[in-house]
Amino acid sequence: MTGPRETSRELYLEQPDVLLVLKPGGANAPEIYLAVRADGEAVAFNGHVDLGTGIRTALAQIVAEELELPLERVRMVLGTTSAAPDQGPTIASETIQVTAVPLRLAAATARRHLVAQAATLWAVAADEIAVADGVLSHGANRIGYGDLVRGQHRRIDIDTTAPVKSVEAYRIVGKSLARADIAAKSTGDWTYVHDVRVPGMLHGRVVRPPYVGYDHGEGVGSSLISVDPGPVSHMPGFVAVVAIGDFVGVVAEREEQAAAIARALKPVWRAPPRRPDLNAPEQALRDNPAMRRVLKEEGDVERALAAASPRMDRTYVWPYQMHGSIGPSCAVADWSAQRLIVWSGTQNPYFMRRDLARLLDMPEEAIVVERHEAAGCYGRNCADDVTADAALLSRAVGRPVRVQLTREQEHGWEPKGAAQVVDVRGGLDLAGGPIAYDFETRYPSNLAPTLALVLTGKVTTNEAVEMGDRTAIPPYAVPSMRIAVQDMPPIARASWFRGVSAMPNSFAHESFFDELAAAAGVDPVEYRLRYLTDPRARDLVRAVADRAGWHARTRWGSEGGEGELLYGRGFAYAVYVHGKFPGTPAAWSAWVADVAVNRRTGEVTVTRVTVGQDSGLMINPDGVRHQIHGNVIQSVSRVLKEKVSFTETAVESAEWGGYPILTFEEVPDIDVLMVPRPHEPPLGVGESASVPSAAAIVNAVYDATGLRFRELPLTPDRILAGLEGRSEKEDGKTGQAGRKRRRWLGGFGLAGLAGIAACGLATLSPLRPSVAAIERPDPASFGAAAIERGRLVAAAGACDACHAGAGGQPLAGGRAFTTPFGTVFAANISPDESHGIGNWSYLAFVRAMREGISRNGTHLYPVHPYTSFVNVSEGDLQDLYAYLMASPAAKSPAPPARMTPPFNMRGLMAGWNALFLGSNAIAYDPAKGEAWNRGAYLVEGLGHCSACHTQRNRFGAEKSGAAHLSGGLADGWEAPALGHAAKGPVAWTQTAFFDYLRTGHSADHGSAGGPMAKVVASLSSLPDADIQAMATYLASLSGTPAAAGGIAEQRRAALASAQAAAWPAARLSPRGERLFEGACSACHGPDSPLADLALNTNLHSDRPDNLLQTILAGAPAPASLARRNPGEVMAMPAFGDTLSDRQIEDLAHYLRARFAPEKPAWSDVSSVLSHLRQTPSPTGGH
Amino acid sequence: MAAPFLTLSVNGAQRRFDLPGDTPLLYPLRNDCGLNGPKFGCGLGECGACAVLVDGRPVRSCTTPLAAVAGRAVVTLEGLSRDGAPHPVQQAFTEMQAAQCGYCLNGMIIATVGLLSRKPNASEAEIRAALRRHLCRCGTHVEILAAVRRARALMTASTGKEAGAA
Repeated sequence: MTGPRETSRELYLEQPDVLLVLKPGGANAPEIYLAVRADGEAVAFNGHVDLGTGIRTALAQIVAEELELPLERVRMVLGTTSAAPDQGPTIASETIQVTAVPLRLAAATARRHLVAQAATLWAVAADEIAVADGVLSHGANRIGYGDLVRGQHRRIDIDTTAPVKSVEAYRIVGKSLARADIAAKSTGDWTYVHDVRVPGMLHGRVVRPPYVGYDHGEGVGSSLISVDPGPVSHMPGFVAVVAIGDFVGVVAEREEQAAAIARALKPVWRAPPRRPDLNAPEQALRDNPAMRRVLKEEGDVERALAAASPRMDRTYVWPYQMHGSIGPSCAVADWSAQRLIVWSGTQNPYFMRRDLARLLDMPEEAIVVERHEAAGCYGRNCADDVTADAALLSRAVGRPVRVQLTREQEHGWEPKGAAQVVDVRGGLDLAGGPIAYDFETRYPSNLAPTLALVLTGKVTTNEAVEMGDRTAIPPYAVPSMRIAVQDMPPIARASWFRGVSAMPNSFAHESFFDELAAAAGVDPVEYRLRYLTDPRARDLVRAVADRAGWHARTRWGSEGGEGELLYGRGFAYAVYVHGKFPGTPAAWSAWVADVAVNRRTGEVTVTRVTVGQDSGLMINPDGVRHQIHGNVIQSVSRVLKEKVSFTETAVESAEWGGYPILTFEEVPDIDVLMVPRPHEPPLGVGESASVPSAAAIVNAVYDATGLRFRELPLTPDRILAGLEGRSEKEDGKTGQAGRKRRRWLGGFGLAGLAGIAACGLATLSPLRPSVAAIERPDPASFGAAAIERGRLVAAAGACDACHAGAGGQPLAGGRAFTTPFGTVFAANISPDESHGIGNWSYLAFVRAMREGISRNGTHLYPVHPYTSFVNVSEGDLQDLYAYLMASPAAKSPAPPARMTPPFNMRGLMAGWNALFLGSNAIAYDPAKGEAWNRGAYLVEGLGHCSACHTQRNRFGAEKSGAAHLSGGLADGWEAPALGHAAKGPVAWTQTAFFDYLRTGHSADHGSAGGPMAKVVASLSSLPDADIQAMATYLASLSGTPAAAGGIAEQRRAALASAQAAAWPAARLSPRGERLFEGACSACHGPDSPLADLALNTNLHSDRPDNLLQTILAGAPAPASLARRNPGEVMAMPAFGDTLSDRQIEDLAHYLRARFAPEKPAWSDVSSVLSHLRQTPSPTGGH
Repeated sequence: MAAPFLTLSVNGAQRRFDLPGDTPLLYPLRNDCGLNGPKFGCGLGECGACAVLVDGRPVRSCTTPLAAVAGRAVVTLEGLSRDGAPHPVQQAFTEMQAAQCGYCLNGMIIATVGLLSRKPNASEAEIRAALRRHLCRCGTHVEILAAVRRARALMTASTGKEAGAA
């Protein structure tokens, strides 16, 4: 019993009716390339896998062509180690160019064999037999492949001399046939590795160490101090915590349970070491130890350089980039002592198997890698890592385990596309030609050992590999040339990424030759053609220039501009050389890029790309076209937008806001020119069209502006810095240095309090009698109606907003409230006789509610809002008592308060009460009507709104007068001002109050968060009339109600000023703007059903607390969902574990400048954030 | 505290879940209903791979609490087909071969169904804006845009036919 399994090699080898075509010389371990079955279908095997490029279809076309079968009767088996041959990793665009060769020969061998068999059968000459659609015929004789195969098990070797079809005879190869997988993918019927389910499967998550994105050096593999499963072992679905070295994982019954446990598990790690600054990677790469390898040396370079005029020495810097698979990697493993099966999205199934054998100390033969498609990877992502993770977890629990990485883990840990620094020294000779070319490139990258091997300490080395040499030799004839690569180990974890090292190397070549052309005063296309020797390259360059309507230019600016826009065109050409040096060329590619540069905002738009490619024979021209489109779009994204950011110790970019990629609105028009070369061998097309991108775009920006950019990406801030001739503020803080955060209260002097006591202001005795304990009343004695009324009283008072226990148990208490005087814990107010109020008489209860005196005579601290409850009616208190007594008892004690002296002397509260109790008293006002009075009662009494929404004085008492309901703090959240002092741009109306209290949301103000979300949830039991009454009362506090037209005007003005602030805000905080676009705008964009952020009270407040709390902890969808608009069902996720402090600060500054442009910048974001990080709100999301 | 059962319609069938209300909708859809259309992409509502229709409107199931869709109608990629035939949007995506790896395809199709149901004649700019917050890393944007235009034509034609028949 297991998950989806491919038919194994052994089963084919045992089948009675089959023709197998094998790799020669493999008698002991046969490798099958092709099986023709008795049903007339062919199964073809290839060691390379489909990474989303459609290779499955292209390979099937090759087999179908040579075997003369219809395409739909060829099935491809890719990668799976139990069936497919070992043909190395699927890299370097080699599948069609290299690994398809034996497949094609296998099909040709099989066809020749079948024809020969038929010839024997019919006793005719083989060359008289016709073959079509899997049927052989001669005169009246006809026989299908299946009938020929049936009844015998035959094995033949691939014969490299078997005749292959001529191009002229092709009927399947060279046709744009549809991919078979897309229909299934569009209906959800395709099984990605993410969709593999194995009976009895558990779910795993991993918890990675804090040195995110580094796989060697100090502390790697040895940073785990301890991990305590205790606190998570009670969580629902818990199965196991597994720790081996720095590998930590959890296993649970359900996926969301595993995710929750992984979030809750808090391993103790050593602090990660500081790393070199990779945000500006040039210095780190120059400092990294390296081995210089000279690839080519011709002429006397130094002598030529000395004669150069002008001499041009340039440095080009490529940033760290990400593969950025859209689906974080996933795998399933099923381990037993005898064997291991993994379902994996790996690029390299046999490498994977070797790694698993090493990791688990198992023989390779005991391991099967079932390869399934995953999200596109474009190089080495975390597919292998997660496979090994799953294997470790499955071994630990002895059951199949599926592991899904998080977005943060995929972003943080994927082996990055390495930064590169390329130095070019050169210049012109007297005739304007390139006199010398001295090129040196640095490529800190390797094969990125599978992470579990590193984390468990099985691999500790950090080796350099020779992969920085791709397309290092320029295509131009230069008399003196020296080409060198500095092979170096990775700094951050890095491995191959589309256009491996060739893309940065060509960025340097093609930028530099553009600079030479400009210096020589020659059109850049003409200049290239002068020195380009390869005839196919020359043909391509001419064809692309013609197709784009290229006009010769000898200086920048000839494309003109309009308004703020400057137009430019750039050219670049490259051939991607892959494999071990000197390597194999893949397809040739050339670009003309058209750009528009906004000189005010610095935005570069690539408006059009004319791209030409010579791919040799194209197996599936539409497939090639799609690869070209994909390469163009992905590389435009890389050039314009992409750069991994780092903290001092780790990769910082953990989601799409911190690592934005191109969106639909930014996609250029793409005109593809495919050179027909059907008689030339097919070439790899998976990467080629990416390679010229950077130089073409940078050259176009030069053509538009006269400025050369030699470092990527071309973000608006970089372009603006260039346009304004200033150096870039690569890491400048956008905000002001944070001032010390305002405290809840100023210093509270002991003298003040002593004064209260000593001066005898306390008319009430600090010593109050206790009220006798009673037996818990029988709930039946209260009557159902009273209990139900009491439930509504408790709802109006939102008792459980404070008194709910850990895990949400009603009335259980225990929540900590931090005050300037110490920590108070919410009491257990359930009817438990030992820990709750079960032995309180009604009189004791009333005294506590109205006077703040506990049953035993001690004073309660005014965190308990008895100053409001003094207003609650006798009837409501009786009902509330009945409800509480009839509720389930919670048997957990609340901890005692931990007050700092002298506040631990509860008796002092007597003096406090004398001063402040009663100051909130309300009286019925017959002139105001029933609703207003009911509202006043609910707001000022039961609802005790002022307990949070009013500032407290030095003694912790609510301020009165104008300060009443003018804003306060609660539980680390700001309780904003109500009424006239409200900070939002739109005045509160009765309707807005009603919407907010009823649904947790007002279109003109935003959503309830933090403790207020709990209050709204609690109020949901109350009838509309009560909510309307509260709204009536609250609206009356705002003074004269604004006319409806006034509200509309306020709304319009706020939206307009936010619109106008978009650019200044982006200028102020460019990283904040990118974060907003990538992380927030999917929900907070223009079409959102949510309140526009320009109207959100939190952004207009004097303090950033609520905004920061919301970013950190998210916003659970409000309680009254049933009343909400259909589109508003989404909750806001917590970003606290995803974004760094710097990112959150950048984002907060952007949001303030963008959505509250009239308000001054917050000065204390940094300090508030660090305070909130240290004292996470118990109220927020999860 | 035992959570009450949550009931919702998934692809037309009533489903009951004995799960906490804050469970992200994506997990019960995938793991309890066995629906592979919605994909986990980021868990942060950023990429759109997990999109489903709730009462006909596209939402991101990774950030939608189960309780929020109680009593509502959820339709996934699998639920778009009618009488065994793919939805015109699915047909258009297949015709235009609008996938490379196809991992984002779910979100693209769901967003397109949502867009064309609101705006059957959506303009090029409206199409791009509607897909703007759906990420594709393979660079299939050109084919996806072509597929949306094709779907627009297919749906307009079928609506016209129905109207004609009526």
